[in-house]
Formats: sequence, C-alpha cells, structure tokens
Amino acid sequence: MQDTLTALVAKAQTDLATLKSRPEFEAAKARLVGPNGELTGLMKQMGTVPKEQRPAMGKLINETKTRLQELLDGALRMIEAGELQAQLGPAIDPTLPSPDAGPGTYHPLTLVREEMCRILRKVGFTVADGPEVETEYYCFDALNTPADHPARDAQDTFYFPETAHFGNVSKRTPGEKYLLRTHTSSVQIRTMLKGAPPIRIVSPGRTYRRDTTDATHSANFHQLECLYVDKNVTVRDLKALLDYIFASLLGKETKTRFRPHYFGYTEPSFEVDLSAKHLPKVKKEWIEIGGCGMVDPVVFAGVGYDPEVWSGYAFGMGLERLAMLLYGIDDIRYFYQNDLRFLKQFA
Amino acid sequence: MKISLNWLRDYVALDASIDEISRAITFLGFEVEQVIRTGAPLLSQVVVGEVLVRDKHPNADKLSVCQVDLGPAGGVKTIVCGAQNYQVGDRVPVALPGAVLPGDFVIKLSKIRGQSSDGMMCSAKELGVAEDASGLLILAGRPALGTPINDVMPPGDTVFDIEITPNRPDCLSHLGLARELAAWFKLELVYPQEKFRGDISGAPHPELLRGVSVLSPEDCPLYSAHVIRGVKIGPSPEWLQRRLSAVGLRPINNVVDVGNYVMLETGQPLHAFDARKLGGSQIIVRRATDGEKLVTLDGKERVLTSRMLVIADAEKPVVIAGIMGGENSGVGADTTDLVLECAIFKRQTIRWTSKRLGLTSDSCYRYERGVDPHSALEAAYRAIDLILETAGGSVVGPACQVGGDVPWKREIVVTPAYINERLGFDIPAGEMSSALESLELNIVREEITESRGPAWTVAIPSWRDDLDRPIDLVEEVLRLHGTDKIPAAVVSSPGLIGDDDPLVLFNRRATDYLVGHDFHECVNYTLRSAKEITTWVSQTAAVELALANPFVDDQSHLRPTLTMGLLESLKLNQSRGVAVSRLCETGRVFIERNGQNFECAAVGFIIAEPVAERSWLKREPADFYTAKKHVTALAAAAGIDLGRQPLVPVTGPYYGWQEGQSAAAGEMAHGWTARFGLLNLAMVKSLGIEGKVYAGIFAILPEKITAETARRRYADFSLLPAALRDLALLVDAGVHADEVRKTLARIIRAALGNAFMLESVEAFDVYQGQGLPEGKKSVAFSLVFRSGERTLTDDEVNAVFQKVQEEVAKSTTWQIRK
Repeated sequence: MQDTLTALVAKAQTDLATLKSRPEFEAAKARLVGPNGELTGLMKQMGTVPKEQRPAMGKLINETKTRLQELLDGALRMIEAGELQAQLGPAIDPTLPSPDAGPGTYHPLTLVREEMCRILRKVGFTVADGPEVETEYYCFDALNTPADHPARDAQDTFYFPETAHFGNVSKRTPGEKYLLRTHTSSVQIRTMLKGAPPIRIVSPGRTYRRDTTDATHSANFHQLECLYVDKNVTVRDLKALLDYIFASLLGKETKTRFRPHYFGYTEPSFEVDLSAKHLPKVKKEWIEIGGCGMVDPVVFAGVGYDPEVWSGYAFGMGLERLAMLLYGIDDIRYFYQNDLRFLKQFA
Repeated sequence: MKISLNWLRDYVALDASIDEISRAITFLGFEVEQVIRTGAPLLSQVVVGEVLVRDKHPNADKLSVCQVDLGPAGGVKTIVCGAQNYQVGDRVPVALPGAVLPGDFVIKLSKIRGQSSDGMMCSAKELGVAEDASGLLILAGRPALGTPINDVMPPGDTVFDIEITPNRPDCLSHLGLARELAAWFKLELVYPQEKFRGDISGAPHPELLRGVSVLSPEDCPLYSAHVIRGVKIGPSPEWLQRRLSAVGLRPINNVVDVGNYVMLETGQPLHAFDARKLGGSQIIVRRATDGEKLVTLDGKERVLTSRMLVIADAEKPVVIAGIMGGENSGVGADTTDLVLECAIFKRQTIRWTSKRLGLTSDSCYRYERGVDPHSALEAAYRAIDLILETAGGSVVGPACQVGGDVPWKREIVVTPAYINERLGFDIPAGEMSSALESLELNIVREEITESRGPAWTVAIPSWRDDLDRPIDLVEEVLRLHGTDKIPAAVVSSPGLIGDDDPLVLFNRRATDYLVGHDFHECVNYTLRSAKEITTWVSQTAAVELALANPFVDDQSHLRPTLTMGLLESLKLNQSRGVAVSRLCETGRVFIERNGQNFECAAVGFIIAEPVAERSWLKREPADFYTAKKHVTALAAAAGIDLGRQPLVPVTGPYYGWQEGQSAAAGEMAHGWTARFGLLNLAMVKSLGIEGKVYAGIFAILPEKITAETARRRYADFSLLPAALRDLALLVDAGVHADEVRKTLARIIRAALGNAFMLESVEAFDVYQGQGLPEGKKSVAFSLVFRSGERTLTDDEVNAVFQKVQEEVAKSTTWQIRK
C-alpha cells in the first residue's frame, strides 16, 4: 500500500508537469483525486488494512492527499501562467512610432492671444467680445472719427450694401451702413455702453482692411486691445501696463518706449516701440508694436461717461505682428495657409 | 513729406547732429521714415585737377595714362584712368592717396597693369553726389586747380522723409517743422520778413483783372488775387532749383517754382494764372456744372460735377479749385502778366472732389488736411517778394480779396496741477510754461484758483486748430518734456470682478477639446468667393452675404461655414505632400435665414482619410459616429445637449454633405445649428481632394451661449445588482434606431409600473442582410433592470419581460427575433 501511494505521487509528479490546458488538468485531477480517482480507490481499501496499521496508513494517505493537492495547485499555476503568456504578442519594439494621430496643435495666433490674455488676466483684465460686422457708429463715430475721415473711405473699409441686414448686430441710427470692423475698438464702445465704469477689458479679435495681401498685409488680421476706465488713470499707469505686458511676454530685458502720435479716440496718443534684441530676426533697435493713449473725453461723453469724473487708457496691437516677432516668422500669409509643417512648430 | 535740413536752417540755427535731429522729430511725434543725404559729402584729399596729357596704357586697351595738373601746391601727377568721356584740358575731381570716398573706399598709391598711379579721377557716383557712373565728372566753369572739391560742388543736404499725422497740417511745411524743432532744441525761430506788405502804387490795370466773385462762399472762405505785371519767365535761380530738387520736386520755371517753394515753406498752396488767358479778365469761384470739362495740367480731360468747385473766368473753368490748374490758363514761357491766387477752400469739398476724380496734388493734400486761413496772406506776400526777385515785374492793382474776415481767437484755461494729475508724475510749472511758450502757445493770464494753484489762460495760435481742450495741452507739455522720460511704475490693478465673455469661454473649450483630440487648429480668411458659396451653401447666401466693395473677386463674401476654409487647408497640405487628416477651426460665420444675416460663433473640423499617410500598423478609420461624438461635445461646450435634440438626415443638393451619410440638428430654430457626417464625395473630389472627408460644424448666436450649465443635482443610485435582458427586434430598414428605442422604453415602463426601474435601454447590435427579409433590419437592445430596495428575482423580471414582448407583438409592427 505504501509503495502504491509513493508510486502514485511519483507518477502524478511526472504527468502533471506535462499538462497544457485546463481540460487536461481537470481530467488529471479527476483521475487522481476525483470520486473515482486512484487516491479515492486506495482510500476505499483502508478496510482491508489491519487495524493496528490503520493510523499509520491514514496518516500516509493524508500526506499523499496533501502532496497531490500541492502538485495539482502547482500544475494549475503553470497552466494559468501559460494562459496569460498566450495573451501577449511578440515583444514590442519601443522605437517604432505610434500609428495614432496626434498630438493636436494650437494655431500660433491662438497661442499668442491666450498668452496675452493670461498676462492681462493677472492684472484684472477680462476678455470681452463683439461682432465683426459692425456699424459706422460703433466703428467710427463713437471713436471720434468724423464722417469725412479717410479711414472711413470705401477704399480702405469693407462695406455691405444698404439692403444687407444683420439680425444680431444692433444699429445706433437707422441710416448707418454695415461694415467689417477695421479695429477691435468697437468692442470698447459696446462694452462701455453696456456697463458702468470702472471697466477693465481686453478684446482680441479679427479685423479687416481693404488692402493688398503681401508678406506683411492681410485682408483680415487680428488685433488685441485693452481698455481701462476708472478714476484718476494716468499716462504713467499706461506706461506701467505696457512695461508689465512686454516684460512678462518677452522677458525682463525688454524695454518699451512711447512716441507721441495721433489717434482720434485718445489724447494724448502714443505709438509703442519695443527693444527686444534677444528675439530672432529683430534687426532694428526699436520696433513699433502698437498704439495707445488716454481715452479722449469725446469718446467718454459719447457713451455717457462724465469725462470730468472718469479717465482711462486704451492700448491696441496686431496679433500677427506680435506672433511674427515672437517666433521670428517673416510672412504673414503663413498664418492663413495652415501648412502642417508650419502649424506643428508652435505647440 | 520731405524736409530739407538746409532749408530748415533758414529759420532755426540747428547745429545738432543728424541723429539728434532725427530723434527730436521722432519724439515730437512725427515718424522719420527715411533720412536721405544729398549732394557731396565732406571729402578731404579730393581736389580739382586738369588733364594735361592722355596716353594709351601700354598694357591695356581700355585704360589711359594721364598727366594731371593739380596746381602749384599739388604738382603734376600720373594717374591711370578707365573712363572715356573726357578730353585733354578738362577739369575733373581727383582723389589723392589718403582720400576716403563714400563706401569707405580708401585711395592709395597703386600699380595698374604695371603702371603706377598716384590717385584716381572720379565720377559723380564715386564722389557720392549723383548716380551717374558713366564717366568722369567734368567740372564746369574751370575752377582753380588744387581747390578742395567741396568748395566747388554745391553743399550737401540732409532730407528727412517724415510722416505728418493728420492732426498737424501746420507741419506740412518747413516753417511748421522748424517751429517744432526750435521748441525742442530751445532755439529761436526766425520768420521770413516780407518786403511786400500789400501796398500797391500806381494805376490799376482792369484789363488784367476786373474782379473776383465767389459764388460759393461756404466752399471758399477766402480768396485773394494779386496782379504782377511785366514778369520774365525763365529758369529759377540755382538755389531755388536746388531746394526743390532736394525735396523731390522738379523745377519748372521761376513763377511756378516760387509757388511751390512758398507752399513748402509755409504750407499755403498758391496758384498763378497767365492774366491774359483769363477770359473777361474775371475770376469766378463757383461750383462746376454737371458734365463741364477741363483739361488739367497733367494733360487729362476731367469731367466735372456740380459738387465740385472750380475757379473759372467769364467763360470756362480754369482750375479745379485747390487741386490742379487747367492747361488753358497756366503760366508759360510767353507769360508776362500774372494773377496770383491765394485762397482757402473747404476741406470736405476738396477731399470729395479729389476722391471722385482720382486726382491729387501737393496742394490738394494740404487743403484736405486744413490750411490756416489766418496766415494765408503772409504766404501771398512772400511769394510776391520771390516772384519780383526771380522774375521781375511789379505789383499793380487791383488787389482783390473776398472773405477772410472771421477773426481768430481761442483760449484754453489749464492748471499745471491738472496736467500733472493726467500725467501721473510731476513736471515743474516752469518747465511747462516754457514748453508752451516755445510752441507759441502763450500764457496770456495767470489766475490763482481756490484749490488747484494757478490757472493759465493759453492763447492758441491760428495754425493749431487741433488744440481746443485742456487735455490737448497735456500732450503738448508731455511732447516737449519727452515721452521717453515717463517714469516707470508698478501696474496698479484694483480688483474688478468679472469673467471672460461666454463666447470666449466657448471658443477656448471647443479648441481645447479638438486639440486634445489630435486636431490641428487652422485659421482661414473670413472672405470667400461667390462661386464657392453658391456651390456649397445656397444661392440666397451668395446674395445676402456679399460685400458692397470687395477688393478681389475671390474674397467677396462672408463665410457661412468653416468647412470650405478647412477643405482649402486640407488641399494645400495634400498638394504639398504633407500627410494630413484632422483639422479644426473656431471663428465667426454668417448665416442667412429669412432674409437676415446672423453673425454666429462657430467651430468646425474635418477628418480626412489619410491617403498619403502610410503606417506600419492600421487603425480603425473615422466614420460618421466619430464626427457625431465630436459635434456632440462641441455643442455641449456651448451649453447645448445634442442628445436631447432631434437629428435629421441631411438632404438637398446645396448642402455639400453626402445624403444618407450625414445629419443635421438645430437649423437655427433656436439660435444654433449643427451638421456632421460625410462631405459630399463628388464635391470634395471636384476640389481636387483625395479620399473621403468627414466633417462637423456647430454654430451658435453669441447670445445663446450658456457660460455654465445649470448646477447639477446629485441623483441617488442603487448598490444592488442589475438584471439584464436582451431583446432583438425586426423593424423596417428605414426606421431610426432611436425611434424604436423610445417606443420600446415607453412599453417597458408601462409594463413595469412601479415594480422596479428600467435603468437603461440601448441598441447594441444592428444587422441587415442575409437571413433577414428584404427591407428589414434587426436592432438588438440591451435592457437593464434594477431596484433600489431588493435584489430582483428571475421570476419577477421574466414576468415583466414576457409582458413587454406581448405588448410589442400587439401594438407595434416589429417582430421579435428569438
């Protein structure tokens, strides 16, 4: 009996090691320890064992049973490991490119616009928006640009026929013509008419000039303007804002300077120059980057703000120009061609 | 405008360097576009020499060896020369060793083809005086040998090309700019002193001018005419010609040149008539009649209208007022008697006429911007002085003047305290007052106010019509103080609570989503062609969205969708061999609806079959449902739940979408619209694009964008296990799965009563084809039941499921597939 048990364990050890699948395993398990299995058969023979040998024999059978269970467990673990292994393909080549598309990219004009908005957000400017189709009042009259001003000429501004009607662009007076805004300053007017001071907004957006498209001109382009209206706003505050913006954007070594200029809607007015020789393709010492000034009292009076009480500044610049400067791009048309080899450079 | 430095020095003793003057002009508020140096630069070791002998070079065909006499001090030198245009006896500039010619060209003793040369004979170009490099500069007038060349050549000049801002017409003149520079450099401004002051002796000559009548005084507030008799027309003196040439004007004759000179000096345009050509010896300032014609000095016939102002004689128009004279009355070589016009015309009239005729001139440019009527006569007197000086003659009567009788007086009251408050830093009152006075903005009174210190009453000169409020004087003070001296400061930002515009937030969310899903963001032009809009959108849109004055034909209409721009970008990349698939854009589109246009915020994307792209591992291609997922997410970014909106399949020939493969929702009924799916295969192909293109667009009126969706409420959910059942239905192939789903859900809920919950019912399998009857499809739904209180038993779920099947069989046309 003892020999039979030892032989059973030895045979099980050999057989179980060759098992490959669960059905084989289940068959082997039934053969060994199932109700009709070999071990069960041997246990049934216990009755034939002399009484005095029974305790030793019982112990031996239990040990055999434990041993067989260990062997079965081991075999099952082997099979399970084999099954998991079978789920894997061959080893990967980590150097192959991912066949998935991506990553996506933001357009450089978006990147520059959002960066400017973040910089301005830190000093309390929120982003305002307004229509691209405007009326003469919001684009010109309210900004102190008289009816015979050259900027309003059909040679420079896109107009719509008198029959055109825009359901969600409000007119101030019935006779006004619709046009494509030539600057984002119209958003300042709409914002001031809608709310009460103090106001601190930045309005980025698309603008239009009736112009030849070449390396530096485009029929539509983008501007970004800031407007701050409060009590006691000064020229020095305006200069401080410009210094802050460009130091944040281009680094502390960036300098700005004001040159007196003329705009109808600010007084005094300035052009803003940058000195940023650390940027690529900047050859001149000073580069013009935008215009600014103190909001003209006429503009305040037009929107119903008392110019004796309220003062403010406005600043505007071209986003393409800024992006060209930041990235060293030398042709404005690249922004509108969307060649992926261009777009993928800025993400 | 071109400003000559030599000319400026007539009025102000500028001794600063060119760079300093440039900087001054810049900080006074005028952009210096270019600095041009003209005439001879200062040259040392370049003297006058005479060619004594010219022999052929022994070793070179084209060279000569010359003996050149430089006078007693210089002696005779041997010089090799390649030029051909000179002869023995000519006097020419000679550069000696040590001379540095323009372009840092240093002259040394040298050997040319074995022949030593002691210097170089020079061309005009080599000296930097002119562009002529065709031969030696032959000096006229036989100047003394050995004379330094600068003593022989006209002095050089520096010309600043300056952009004058439209508010400063007073600076469209040398005097105006000299005034600014005198103020900047704290120098005295010296005005020209006219000898003629309006006094006329002798008898009048009515045969030369009978009178002036102004029939349209609102267009012509001032007209003056003087008669000069016995002039001799000829070339202007050299100094006058040089002045005009330096600033880019071609000298014509002494009278015309004086007119131009005085205009460039004072800013006042002048015009001279040949008195004998004035019919009836009359000057009539009137509106033209419609269709009246005049051949202007440029030789072109101009057809006039009744809104245009002309100067006419008794018979015909002779000048388009303020813009250009006619050929019929101009000063010519045989003119002996002049009528000199000095007038002020209304800006708007001149501008309108100039635009209408497409005709401009230096005179027109100044009238359009505004000429000071109160300095006009000074300019006339100045011109008379110069005409008498250069063309002779004498002033005779009658002198006529019409208008010009409105006196000028303007005062602005300002306190230094106000100026400092606006600036945000302090400029001493003394500096302010001297700045103002230096610009002839004289402080005529000083009064003490109760709380703000002294108040100044500042008299504004007539040429500064741009100044009429205290804030305007802040700018004047700051200009002269120097805008580069505004002190630095920390940004002050007292908190204003607000958030970005909902449209901005929507754009940002949409772009973030798409870029996060591997799209490349594009930016396309807003203006598109009529043809494209007719093809891709509608005939109506092509009418309603048209500009009145497009600049180019293919940019004549507002875009009604972003798809066309994205396809253009797709095509560009394909044609350049760049692998491209996913492109997106946000921006405005303009949607026509019931005869009105609406400006909408829009987002669009395309997913093109990556035809050019080869990959070592294939991925599942995008399809309609990819586009649906993205559009749903984009609508959600604007606060629109597309899942709750009816979707309709796109039909119709103009949409650009493939019928049966694309869908639409919204259609602007509630201010938004969405379309997505496959773009029309044939239309895409006709653009020259390869492969299928899936696309999606979502557009919404800005005011309909919800910044934040309403705060959600938490709903309790059961932790108990669910009971699952599947139900496959045979339905008509044309029926939409969602219709079936909704009906089925209703039947199930009715069968359930309050027993327990139907958690969800979703289609999980759709089949059509072999094994099914023609025109039918099978849609299989997964039903999830759950209770909040207990674990459901098979029996109770089966009971409900049985009831549902019975109801389906009874009340629908569907068949249950077992």
